[in-house]
Amino acid sequence: MGVSALRTENLSKRYGRLLALDGLSLDVAAGEVFGFLGPNGAGKSTTIRLLLGLARPTSGRAWIFDTDAADVAAAHRRLAYVPADVALWPRMTGAEVLDLLARVGPGTDTAYRDELIQRFALDVSKPAGTYSTGNRQKVALVAAFATRAPLLVLDEPTSGLDPLMELQFRQAVGVARDNGQTVFLSSHQLAEVEAVCDRVGILRAGELVEVASVAQLRRLHHTDVAATFPGTPPDLAGVQGVDGLHEDGATSVRFTLSGSPAAALRALADADVTTIVVREQSLEEIFLAYYGHNAR
Amino acid sequence: MIVTTTAAARPEHVLRGLAVRQVRRGGLVVTAVCACMSALVVVGYRSEALDPAALAALARNPAIRTLFGEPVALDQAGGFTVWRTSVVLAVLLGVWTMLTATRITRGEEDAGRWNLLLSGRITLPEAVRQHLGVLAVVPVLVGAATAVAMIAAGVDATGSLLHGTGLAAVGLFFVAVGGVTAQLFVSRSESNGVAAAVLVVGLLMRMVGDGVPALAWLRWLSPFGLMALTRPFDTNRGLPVSVLAFAAVLLMALAGRLAARRDVGAAILATPGSRPARTTLLGSVPAFAVRRTMRPLAAWSAGIGAYFLLLGLIAQSMTEFLAGNPEFASMAAQAGFPALGTVEGYAATLYALLAVPVGVFVAVRLAATAADENARRLTLLLAAPVTRARLLGAEAAAAGCAALVLITVAGIAMWAGTATVHAGLAPGDALAGAWNVTPVVLLCLGAAVLALGWAPRAVAAIGALPAAGGFLWQVVADSIDAPTWTRALSPFTHLAAVPSTAPAWPAASVMAGIAAAGVIVGTIGYRRRDLSA
Ligand SMILES: Nc1ncnc2c1ncn2[C@@H]1O[C@H](COP(=O)(O)OP(=O)(O)OP(=O)(O)O)[C@@H](O)[C@H]1O
Ligand SMILES: [Mg+2]
Repeated sequence: MGVSALRTENLSKRYGRLLALDGLSLDVAAGEVFGFLGPNGAGKSTTIRLLLGLARPTSGRAWIFDTDAADVAAAHRRLAYVPADVALWPRMTGAEVLDLLARVGPGTDTAYRDELIQRFALDVSKPAGTYSTGNRQKVALVAAFATRAPLLVLDEPTSGLDPLMELQFRQAVGVARDNGQTVFLSSHQLAEVEAVCDRVGILRAGELVEVASVAQLRRLHHTDVAATFPGTPPDLAGVQGVDGLHEDGATSVRFTLSGSPAAALRALADADVTTIVVREQSLEEIFLAYYGHNAR
Repeated sequence: MIVTTTAAARPEHVLRGLAVRQVRRGGLVVTAVCACMSALVVVGYRSEALDPAALAALARNPAIRTLFGEPVALDQAGGFTVWRTSVVLAVLLGVWTMLTATRITRGEEDAGRWNLLLSGRITLPEAVRQHLGVLAVVPVLVGAATAVAMIAAGVDATGSLLHGTGLAAVGLFFVAVGGVTAQLFVSRSESNGVAAAVLVVGLLMRMVGDGVPALAWLRWLSPFGLMALTRPFDTNRGLPVSVLAFAAVLLMALAGRLAARRDVGAAILATPGSRPARTTLLGSVPAFAVRRTMRPLAAWSAGIGAYFLLLGLIAQSMTEFLAGNPEFASMAAQAGFPALGTVEGYAATLYALLAVPVGVFVAVRLAATAADENARRLTLLLAAPVTRARLLGAEAAAAGCAALVLITVAGIAMWAGTATVHAGLAPGDALAGAWNVTPVVLLCLGAAVLALGWAPRAVAAIGALPAAGGFLWQVVADSIDAPTWTRALSPFTHLAAVPSTAPAWPAASVMAGIAAAGVIVGTIGYRRRDLSA
């Protein structure tokens, strides 16, 4: 087994009576792009704050490349972070903030930083006080990607970005992956997670409920099928793999399909199907089912 | 069927509730301090038979007038109390209201807490007005409590009420000043800086206006001058205080108007557009701490420098007057200013005052660190390979060194002033006297670091306590002849009168030791707690 970029063991955090994080044990391999998902208040940001040593765990431990996460001076030489809401000193310009972060940070590739500034279309000569939420986020993203730190910890990094910038973000994650960097990405943008992540972990009410690759998750789930016929639809009940059957008007049906589609396709062909729409469920639908299904 | 409807809470009630929660504790403390101090000084007043000719000489002396304000009705407990406490209390109230006004408006906005609030039915001008409106209750309360306390202590009602009204008007004025600067500037620190400049300029204008007859009109332009012009227990004039209250109301309305003309998170004075990067002092955490200290340091140096230059300029006149009129020496002593008869004694006495603004400076600098944490500006720094201890060390060291610079500036300014009037204060003596207050400033530093570690919301108040609280304590103790052990609680009691006597090294070491303990315990707390970053 390879090196872990990030590892936690029974990590817990209690805020008064609220157990915000409940015994999280997680292992993210070096070079992996890991998506960290969960509904609001699930404990994602709490986990990240514990990993960064900004909050102290109630119990359990965490490591960044086998350095104790509490040893900030050493651990932070190997990571870069983008917080969920970026706050900057209002009178400093973007360039000054980037300069400061490069000089106190774990080392920066300035050529790549300049390229990123171009790509994210960031005007770094303006004071941060004039920046929009998205522009502040871009400053933090540029600073983080430009470090080439082996681990990037990103907490909802694209919540303020427009679709064009979101695309740039995905590209930057791709570059990071090609460089062998590890990315730990907490996000609510499931399309983004689907596009960039190798594995995802799902957190609910402080507990890790699932860790799987995106492909595995898909396989666990279904395909939506809608078909229309010249006359009365055939009776598909009992056909292997067909579920959630319901009639959609006099001549059409909808159902979900899991496992091999052979039996269902044969039945449809026999009934002289006129149109058929097959749609794989998006990660979004899978997660909606997930969050809803496992609700307490 | 049972229908339950939740009456939507009226937005102004929500706002007021929010504002009340942010000002009530500090408001009660300030009210209690003002009322208690006034009552204590009234009770402690010992009338001395003063010769009218000597009194007239006192009232004419420019140095006395500059330093203490125009001496009015000193033969009555009420007049003496006003003379003794009004500047101190007005400054205390002014500083508190101004800082609180910017904290509950610009500070909350700065920290992003108003985004949610203002996304509903509440508008920005509404939020600003309601917050300032709630805060405006505090000075009124302070004025009323002070008047009632003085009347209860046995002085004339008219003078007490006028004095209370004057205090309230000064407080209202600075609520409005803070409210206006909070609309003008995008950050709380800038708003505070400009509001503080208004306060310091107002104070200097009062001093110059009192001291130089040709410039007496300056007092009409200063909130402190207007308060003094009411002359409680003497002529009891109402006009100056009406002018001040009117100015406060105008400024308050202006704050509301300005709020209507800007966006949430933005300011009236636009941050300048593009500019080339200035990359000096960005290379390390300590350098960055120094960089953020430079501007405030320059502003505070200007204010404190001007004040001590003025004190230096009046030194000669003051010492000659007191040497020639010994009957006032005891009165000055009761007012907390013994040994004003020699220039060294004069310098030593006034340098003690220096500890207050410099201690407050240190507290405010560390409070700025707490505010940066609270607004999550430190998060990106702390995500770099920077330990908390290093960050705190850099911030505390920058504040401490800046304080030493301020002290030195005061020493040089005092020397320059005395040299101009040939008062004969040696430069070495001038600096030694200024540096003598360092232990009190260190106590403030220790208290502020302690608060940052264990009570990060109260850094400014706890950090300023040794200097500001200690000073008030000493004023009260002097005025009422308090027993020695109560005096010992104030660090000022343990400062030797340098340069007229040698420094009290043992006491200084004890204070430095307490300060170091505060820094150590505070650092432990800061390393252990969760950051709100
Ligand atoms: N400083 C704190 N004090 C008290 N409770 C807290 C604190 N920080 C977080 N919590 C609570 O811990 C829980 C987890 O919060 P966290 O911010 O980790 O959620 P999240 O998964 O990041 O949610 P989101 O998707 O909304 O960002 C929440 O219920 C939150 O209210
Ligand atoms: Mg979060």
